[in-house]
Amino acid sequence: MGRHFGDLAKIRHVITYSISPFEQRAFPNYFSKGIPNVWRRFKSSVFKVAPPMILMYLTYTWGNHVHEQGKRKNPADYEKDQ
Amino acid sequence: SGVWNFGSLLGLCLITQILTGVFLGMDYTSDISTGFSSVTHIWRDVNYGWLIRNLHGNGASFFFICIYMDIGRGLYYGSYLYKETWNIGVVLLLLVMMTAFVGYVVPWGQMSFWGGTVITNLLSGVPYMGDTLVQWIWGGFSVDNGTLTRFFGFHFLLAFVIGGGTVVHLLFLHETGSNNPGGVNSDGDKISFHPYFSYKDLLGFVIMLLGLTSLGVFSPNLVGDPENFTPGNPLVTPPHIQPEWYFLFGYGILRSIPNKVGGVLGLLFSILVLMVVPILHTSKQRGLTFRPVTQFLFWTLVGDMIILTWIGGMPVEHPYIIIGQIGSVLYFGLFLVLVPLGGWVEN
Repeated sequence: MGRHFGDLAKIRHVITYSISPFEQRAFPNYFSKGIPNVWRRFKSSVFKVAPPMILMYLTYTWGNHVHEQGKRKNPADYEKDQ
Repeated sequence: SGVWNFGSLLGLCLITQILTGVFLGMDYTSDISTGFSSVTHIWRDVNYGWLIRNLHGNGASFFFICIYMDIGRGLYYGSYLYKETWNIGVVLLLLVMMTAFVGYVVPWGQMSFWGGTVITNLLSGVPYMGDTLVQWIWGGFSVDNGTLTRFFGFHFLLAFVIGGGTVVHLLFLHETGSNNPGGVNSDGDKISFHPYFSYKDLLGFVIMLLGLTSLGVFSPNLVGDPENFTPGNPLVTPPHIQPEWYFLFGYGILRSIPNKVGGVLGLLFSILVLMVVPILHTSKQRGLTFRPVTQFLFWTLVGDMIILTWIGGMPVEHPYIIIGQIGSVLYFGLFLVLVPLGGWVEN
């Protein structure tokens, strides 16, 4: 059922190289390149993620505010009271 | 990436729910005169009964967190193009929702009784046979003992139906192999399950179980309704009847349509619209990784679902009514019009 190792794909003219895990550092440049990379990833997605979330938050606060206002008495309704 | 962990997490959720559920079932009695008090007995007297019940109740919330994330991953990366796997996934979502619904009635608290009453009454909208259908489901003329006994039975049974559906879901997934964040064919780039995915999945399990036990131990009632601490009473209606958080977006859509049948159809299609997504795929690219317009629309959908979830828990008053209506139109508009249009524009 399904595909099996040895029968997945035929790839020709591709040479791969690898180095032993004992000949390399486990987490090279984790902070020196990692932190700028996080910033790069943030910049590239913030203007697609943030606007809908901000709109959602504004809708939430506006909706609750208008609902609260609606429960308050309107002073104009009681102007003619003695 | 990490968002591919939710499939295996759902398997863990199912196993957790079945295990905790079986143990709860050993001390629970599905009769209206003893149901609520048997839950109290489990909580107070059964050894670690409080923990088992905690894990089962909050486990349902985690089940839905995982299922919504799994669907979100599917939508974002175009995994829905594996149509058989996707459509069985939609069936699984419906089964999980049905299981959660009947399961919520089981403790027979106020919200169990009244939530069950509201939602089962929706079936009366079916033409001609609506009322008969509802009474057939109820096993009587209202939600009563007959309803509770069969709902407990359905809850137990449906869990194993979900298990069967999961096997079929995986069967189809294993025909193609998983998708990936690039949306490209990865047949020439496979790695073994062990140790890479065994350890990756194990890490996911540890994180999720940590979250579940933290919620269960530190804040077990965070997402629950206080009404369910009161035994179900058909003579006293709670002021705000609402389902658990994971159903609120659908509840918001249901209440936005001022017609009973219309609302029910809106609720139904809010889930079934997922089956139409593969048909409306217009982009030449599979996922959204390199599609900024549709990415923006995806996050608009996420924000919209959060708004609908909020609205579903609010009373039907101004301005929540109009926000719910706009949110519902936007929900369907995104799936049926805006996202296909976005794909076409990006082409």
